Amino acid sequence: MTGTGNTNVTVHPSDDICLGIRGVHKSYDTVQALSDIDLDVRGGEIVALLGPNGAGKTTLVSIIAGLRKPDRGHVWVNGIDVASRPQIARRQLGLAPQETGIYPTVSVRDNLRFFGELAGLRRQCLRTRITEVAEAFSLTALLDRKGQNLSGGEARRLHTAMIVLHSPSLLLLDEPTTGVDVQTRNRLLELVRCLAEEGSAVIYSTHYLPEVEQLDVSTVAILVDGKIIASGSLAHLISTLGSASVELRFSGRPPELYLPDGTVPVGNDALRVPAKDSPAVTAASLLQRLDGAGGELREIKLLQPSLESVFLAITSNTPSGSEGSP
Amino acid sequence: MSFGRIAAIVRQDLKILRADSMPAVMLIVMPLLLMPFLKPAFNVALHIEGHQGATGAEQVVPGMAITFGFFLVGNVSLGFYREHAWKTWERLLASPAGTGEIMIGKMATPLLQAVAQFGVLFGLGGPLMGLHVKGSWLALCAVGAAFGLYLVTTGLAVTALCRTVLQANAVVNIGFLLLAGLAGALVPYSLLPGWAQDISPVVPSYWAMQGYKHAIFGEGATVVGPILFLLGFSILSVLVALVRFRIKDTKVGLV
Repeated sequence: MTGTGNTNVTVHPSDDICLGIRGVHKSYDTVQALSDIDLDVRGGEIVALLGPNGAGKTTLVSIIAGLRKPDRGHVWVNGIDVASRPQIARRQLGLAPQETGIYPTVSVRDNLRFFGELAGLRRQCLRTRITEVAEAFSLTALLDRKGQNLSGGEARRLHTAMIVLHSPSLLLLDEPTTGVDVQTRNRLLELVRCLAEEGSAVIYSTHYLPEVEQLDVSTVAILVDGKIIASGSLAHLISTLGSASVELRFSGRPPELYLPDGTVPVGNDALRVPAKDSPAVTAASLLQRLDGAGGELREIKLLQPSLESVFLAITSNTPSGSEGSP
Repeated sequence: MSFGRIAAIVRQDLKILRADSMPAVMLIVMPLLLMPFLKPAFNVALHIEGHQGATGAEQVVPGMAITFGFFLVGNVSLGFYREHAWKTWERLLASPAGTGEIMIGKMATPLLQAVAQFGVLFGLGGPLMGLHVKGSWLALCAVGAAFGLYLVTTGLAVTALCRTVLQANAVVNIGFLLLAGLAGALVPYSLLPGWAQDISPVVPSYWAMQGYKHAIFGEGATVVGPILFLLGFSILSVLVALVRFRIKDTKVGLV
């Protein structure tokens, strides 16, 4: 995968690229939702799309799925131009939107069957795929249960299962674990990994940074104000942009202190201080300063460079980025 | 255009209808319950109109079919608003189904409902109400088909014009009373006030009522004119839908 940001190329992506995006721009009235987006994703790759609220993640996913047209630029799925041949391109992809969308008054089986039929599966082939997908998503025992009688986690699993029946080569998952419990989240992440191992390219938009580490993604692309401002492998981003820090948690509000640049509040009772040297040295220096400054220190954490530190470093330098969460 | 995908959408909508079939059943049961109460009054009215030997069934059966047929306009809209409320609309758009396939599929189920509703009402009109079709059953079916087409295309136009299910319901409720009244479906045409008689021919339901009556009474009158008018109104509805329907518009459905 590549996400180069400012490349002005309009060539047709090469054959081994499942998803190719070139120079995509999109605006709504006066708001620039996406600007100069370039991205290549190959089969088997998982690309995590991160960004604060309103960064343009959902708009990008919608454009890839052909639900919105870019003002400029092109998107290809397996070499098929999504804007000019959306119906054919959609046969190659599966989109699980942000909000759970299932038919509540029909059974799990009929929800799966419907999307299988729309994708062109028929008779025995369809029945076999329903069985396989239900098994993979732990829905077998629920096949005859109506959608309205599923728990939140079960509904979310069905929501995602509905897009994999036709084994699409590109999966678009827009915050797939929103509102689910830990078990369902882990199960979904495991399934995404399996689908990628089977050769599907995955665009995984999320707010939860630990998921990105858990998913073992090929690439992380951080989107802020409609632009990909950083992309690369997780290890690369952390080594180049990540920084260690020390987190101080107090009983109540933190005391007034002179602290280094880059210190950010975490909730109402904690501060995260960047560690210029090692976190241990910074922590020792902070403890000295706190002596006599008031405030009751409850906890001190030494944080190694992580995706979160990368994300905070990048988004805290942008106007909208400082407001949202990843 | 794939017949398989259209059929898949129709099958799914039929399953949804079957899962909550009471409203559809009521659209058949309610007119059947009302018919015996209205038939004696309509008998008198038809004699005043000069239809000697009429029983009243010739007015009450088509009248109730038209009146309760209007609710199918709302059913078409509901089919779209429901997808928005269940958050499945975006998924449907992102599926391999094309816009045309989705639209045809979503209109087909209410059209099948219209066929069922008219079939039962006219089918039971004979044994229960004493309806005797002196003209042609074929002509009667042709009028029913044209009226059904008008109802579903109007449903599409209403969906295109209304952003919320409440707006659509308001339009359907007002339209149902106004168009059924002006058609002479609730009160025979000859008993309508003069001003209503003057404007009746501009409403499609008037032509449906005329078509049904021509088919039932025979008497040399043709149903071609009423059918052409109904098809014309259907085309008008399709044009409104084509101009105003935005497949990516957000609709607010309270389902």
